[in-house]
Amino acid sequence: MLLGRSSEGDDSVNLNGTVRNEVDSGVEHGEVLLRYSDAAVGRTANLAEAREVVNTAMGPDAVVDCAATIANFQRMVRIADGCGIPLDSISRRESEKWREGLQIDGFRSRLNTFA
Amino acid sequence: MTTISAPFAYVDTTWPVLERMAEAHRRSWEMLAALGEWWTGAERISIAAESRRASALVDGLPDPGPGPAELPEAATFAVHKLIADLPNVTKDWYDEVTTADGMTDAHYIELLGVVVNVWSVDEFHRALSLPLEPLPDPIAGTPGGIRPSGAKPHGSWPPTVWPDDLDERDLDIYDGEERAANVRAAMSLHPDSVRWLGDLFDAHYLSWIEIGGEQEPFRVLTRPQRELVAARVSALNECFY
Repeated sequence: MLLGRSSEGDDSVNLNGTVRNEVDSGVEHGEVLLRYSDAAVGRTANLAEAREVVNTAMGPDAVVDCAATIANFQRMVRIADGCGIPLDSISRRESEKWREGLQIDGFRSRLNTFA
Repeated sequence: MTTISAPFAYVDTTWPVLERMAEAHRRSWEMLAALGEWWTGAERISIAAESRRASALVDGLPDPGPGPAELPEAATFAVHKLIADLPNVTKDWYDEVTTADGMTDAHYIELLGVVVNVWSVDEFHRALSLPLEPLPDPIAGTPGGIRPSGAKPHGSWPPTVWPDDLDERDLDIYDGEERAANVRAAMSLHPDSVRWLGDLFDAHYLSWIEIGGEQEPFRVLTRPQRELVAARVSALNECFY
């Protein structure tokens, strides 16, 4: 829900692009960054290839920055779901308008956050 | 003559790893090896080793082996669950783990701190196809077992400490902020885990300057690019929060 909250009012970002590959996120180089993220988190065989696409499009510093962001959120999700962090009432209410599009209401961890 | 590199030297890679990231990783290994509040240094290394075993199991890689100290069965189970079966972590599971032999809620939070911070450093290496850094030697000693006096139920499963309730020795953990972000507060039953989290968060993702809206000059990805990646990683982990 992080991107949803921070991008409200920014029409250039299409939230649905974060979870659906067929939707353009509107973020520059978003497609290659997502492909690299998918390969790193999913442990797929095309990790080196996906990383090289980012390298070609954006340069090696961007590869490192993206790897660091992936690493950070591999940590944060485990804290959130490992502690059952609640969603505050304002975020709960305001997120209703874009949660359906993101199809995240089906995540089992919703039960932890809404408990 | 054999030359031994310092930890996290990044001399054998062409990827331009920032020195501030390398420094944060070195501090992480110092914090990992340190005597804990609820676990010995050797047990903390074993928790880290177990997280690597869990990851290797998922990835179909050879077992890297256990750490130097034996862990309670519930602790080993918890490490594997947090690494390999996150979408199925539940309140019932948390209650079961934190009431098992050798475990308390404070043990769990310190364990979680070790697991997630070591996992994060390791994931950075995996994303760049760099070898994992060897785990450090533990520092000897007996855990202090001091529980923050202001820990109270605030909605997360473990009790948490809000800024107004911090003990004198922990006043730094929220950087003087009057309100603590939920993710940081969630770890506050073990204040050193909050410090560790903040240090890596700053190095890997977002500094306090950037939270205020400015972009640090050393950052390459824009804030929307970073948050796009963040949202995708969260979705892949089926993390609703």
